[in-house]
Amino acid sequence: MNRTALVDFFKRYDFTFFGIALAIFIMGVFNLYSATHASTSETMAGLFKVQAVRFALSMVVGLGVSFIAPKNYFRYSYFFYAVSVALLVLVLVLGHKGMGAQRWILLGPIRLQPSEITKIAVVLVLGRWYARTSPDKELGFKELIIPAILVMVPTVLIVAEPDLGTGLLVILIFLVISFYRRLKWKTIGILAVLALVSGGVMYKFGLKEYQRKRIVTFLNPGADARGSGYNAIQSKIAIGSGKFIGKGYLKSSQASLNYLPENHTDFVFSIFNEEHGFIGSLILISLYLILFFRFIWLSQSVPRMFDSIVAIGLMALFFWHTFINMGMVMGLMPIVGLPLPLMSYGGSSLMTFGICIGLATSISNARNLF
Amino acid sequence: MFGEDDLVRQHKGRGDLIGNIIVGCFILILARLWYLQIYQGDLFYQFSIENQLRKEIIKAPRGMIFSRNSELLTHNIPRFDAIIIPQYLKSKTFTLKKLANVLEMSVADIEKILKKNRGQARYRPVTIKKNISLKEVSIIETENSKMPGVRVQTFISREYRDGETGAHLLGYISEINQRQLPRYRNRDGYDYKLGDFIGQAGIEEKFDLQLRGDDGFEFVEVDARGRMRRNIRSNALFSGIENKEAVPGNNIRLTVDRDMQIAAFKALEEKVGSAVAVDVNTGEILAMVSRPAFDPTKFSKGLTKEYWSSLVNDERNPLRDRTIQEHYAPGSTFKTFTAIAALEEKIVTAEQELKCGGTYRLGRRVYHDWKRGGHGLTNVYKALRRSVDVYFYQIATQLDIDILAKYAKMFGFGEKTGISLSRETSGLIPTKEWKKKRSGEDWQLGETLSCVIGQSYVLATPLQLAMAYATIGNGGTLYKPYLIKEIFSNSGEIIEEAKPTELGKVEVSKESLKAVQRGLYEVVNNRRGTAYWYRGIGLEMAGKTGTAQVRSMSSKELFSRCEDMPYKDRHHGIFVGYAPYDNPKVAVAAVVEHGCHGSSAAAPVVRDVITTYMKKYMPEAHAKNSEKQRREYRKMLQERKRKEEAKKKREEALQAQEASLSQTGESEE
Repeated sequence: MNRTALVDFFKRYDFTFFGIALAIFIMGVFNLYSATHASTSETMAGLFKVQAVRFALSMVVGLGVSFIAPKNYFRYSYFFYAVSVALLVLVLVLGHKGMGAQRWILLGPIRLQPSEITKIAVVLVLGRWYARTSPDKELGFKELIIPAILVMVPTVLIVAEPDLGTGLLVILIFLVISFYRRLKWKTIGILAVLALVSGGVMYKFGLKEYQRKRIVTFLNPGADARGSGYNAIQSKIAIGSGKFIGKGYLKSSQASLNYLPENHTDFVFSIFNEEHGFIGSLILISLYLILFFRFIWLSQSVPRMFDSIVAIGLMALFFWHTFINMGMVMGLMPIVGLPLPLMSYGGSSLMTFGICIGLATSISNARNLF
Repeated sequence: MFGEDDLVRQHKGRGDLIGNIIVGCFILILARLWYLQIYQGDLFYQFSIENQLRKEIIKAPRGMIFSRNSELLTHNIPRFDAIIIPQYLKSKTFTLKKLANVLEMSVADIEKILKKNRGQARYRPVTIKKNISLKEVSIIETENSKMPGVRVQTFISREYRDGETGAHLLGYISEINQRQLPRYRNRDGYDYKLGDFIGQAGIEEKFDLQLRGDDGFEFVEVDARGRMRRNIRSNALFSGIENKEAVPGNNIRLTVDRDMQIAAFKALEEKVGSAVAVDVNTGEILAMVSRPAFDPTKFSKGLTKEYWSSLVNDERNPLRDRTIQEHYAPGSTFKTFTAIAALEEKIVTAEQELKCGGTYRLGRRVYHDWKRGGHGLTNVYKALRRSVDVYFYQIATQLDIDILAKYAKMFGFGEKTGISLSRETSGLIPTKEWKKKRSGEDWQLGETLSCVIGQSYVLATPLQLAMAYATIGNGGTLYKPYLIKEIFSNSGEIIEEAKPTELGKVEVSKESLKAVQRGLYEVVNNRRGTAYWYRGIGLEMAGKTGTAQVRSMSSKELFSRCEDMPYKDRHHGIFVGYAPYDNPKVAVAAVVEHGCHGSSAAAPVVRDVITTYMKKYMPEAHAKNSEKQRREYRKMLQERKRKEEAKKKREEALQAQEASLSQTGESEE
């Protein structure tokens, strides 16, 4: 590669995705410090450093991903999909040997969480399928059958882990992609009616109150089924007490929230709101919105159907995480335990978002490459 | 892939629509934020500054344990702890000084405790003193405002009515420890917290999930000093918050009879040993006692260091349940099963007499009988009655060890009984294969000679012995021993009801069993039987004594007085019996470690337990038998008196004769 080619490459390189991610992350790591600095535990208090290192790592991986042309992801999408399903099976088998739920596989120092990889693999495999199967026609029920099977196989495996939240997320991503791929309005209507009716019937006749509770705790024992109301209330107090401009950085007074075990993962948004108020949230939400619209813009400016669908799929992945997390901390939704992208503490999810950013950049860079 | 641009453009409509939906979603989020932060912001702000919402755990009352006759064996008694919540601790030196005064502790001690718990969250209570008196409670409660952060915590202490008597059986509860926490959370899918009490041994451990119940919680509002203000339900802000009531644990009715349990405990006195009583026809455990024991109440009240170290440092190991966690060479009590094998394998017939001297020679080794002079001609009844070693040595030469093992295993030896208690040991019945695997060497005939009299490798738990003799008593059905009669909820609804489980029927002819039963009867009721002097009154007991060597001994040592040997070398005394012999109801095994003799050490324990049973459950038979026995005894006394008088008369007559003779002699001189 000669000099001009290199310059050319950087001219073409789309830094916006990495830029927005970095901006959100910086707010996140400061917020994480605030959430944990008062902790008496030294590991807790040092989490923000761990988070910074992990972010750097995920950005490096994301950069690597961005240098690979999208046609390669297209080519290997089924392979990725097969590997992720195999890993999900493996984790189920290994998990059953030990006691209780297990969601990861240990590879030396790396803790591989197959459900995270699956999110991306499902986006890629749906992109390929929809891009290849009469992409000029609208989708009806018939066209949904095979994608639905492709989605349900890993979903069932994830729910069996048990990880209800991620399973739900995969289905939601599937719905967004199918909607984008011009699912007929008639089909959407019928599906909605079906979902409503079957849900209603289940609710009314299928399950008793205690059974429903039991199933939820069975599928997701990580969520504190009895204490979730308490967390939600504390979270609401934290958010509400932030008022318009917030209490100020490091001034979160909702002290007991500081000692909730999830305050640095699921409930970071509550702390952020308490300290920065409505204004702060407005800024943070704007950043997320810019990111989402950049994805949508990308989906419209690529020359290939696969790239377009993948861009929408990645957007859906970010969007649902963000929307569900914010919704649950402010008491709009039940607590399912999904992290807030780039804000919540957690290595696996950071890595996923890093790879997504890299993928989007790769697609964006290939826009004008003829 | 050229020309796809058009395709992508076809999807613009949907892309835009998705963008709009996303904007809609975030308008919803912002509206909610507006509602929380602007519309209700002041309310929340005020609340977060002044008050706090706290979740108070309501402990579920632990289920009760009853005896088979529904006598309560446990109590739940409220106790009080003085605690400090570090979060609310203000003007520390003053408060600590005051508290130290009330509790009669030093400030330094309190600070040490606080320091030790510095790692945990500041809103978590730190226990300063357990079990404070009512006077201390009232002082702390009234002076509450002067000592912010100090509080009295009520907890339910588990107390055991009969103290040490049920120690191993009932077990105890104590605080879950750091190591158990993650393990048990996983195991039970229950969110245990430090400070939760869980069953740690015995019934309390095995049936913890049944007994524990489910803790509830209640939300309360507390002010900045940590004092409770009001119940949260009155606050409109928190409509929708639901408290949860505690669900009491289930109750357990045991198969155990309280009186028999106490009788066994008393009979064992200060000895080291154990006793097990079982229902012959069901496998129900009627009594199960191991001594020395410990006081389970002390565990649930919060163990003191002194008591714990006194238990751990006790050489006799009071924490071990000797009925199932310890196994012994069964000694002569095992001869019963050798006899069954010999009869079944037609090595001897019941009436066939073998010549039994004081020793038996095998190659260059001499095997001794316990009686120096030997017993003379011996059939199977006498062999059991007098516990004739040489009789069994002779059988051993024709009895393959694997065949003996087959019979022993039919009676439940060598395998865990499967009783619902932890850490049961299986005992051991050796086979050729087992020895080959263990040491790589072939089986020696000499080892069979030791095994047939229950020595060498043969090991059994007291429970196994009781179950095996129950099997002889009931005519050949081996039952699984069980402890739980029923589990019932607090409202009296029966959740689980236990029924007898047959583990198998022994493949032994009625005749052989009859012959052995007669032998066992004679052990106790024949005047020459080894346990005749411990037969009790009105019991009609059958049984077998056993004296198990602790280590191999030279013949000189063997015949020295056991009581003169060092304690550690003394033989274990074992007795297993059942009663009444013609229609057995109860079987009892007792082992007294280093008790020297099965007859004098262990038989009285069995006798006492069976006496309690007979008096309680078969009073008429007991009275009738006692009367009969008394009559016989009186007759015997009269007989003896008559004989003595006759003898006296004879002697007097003789003397008179002599006297008259000498007189006549004198007169002749």
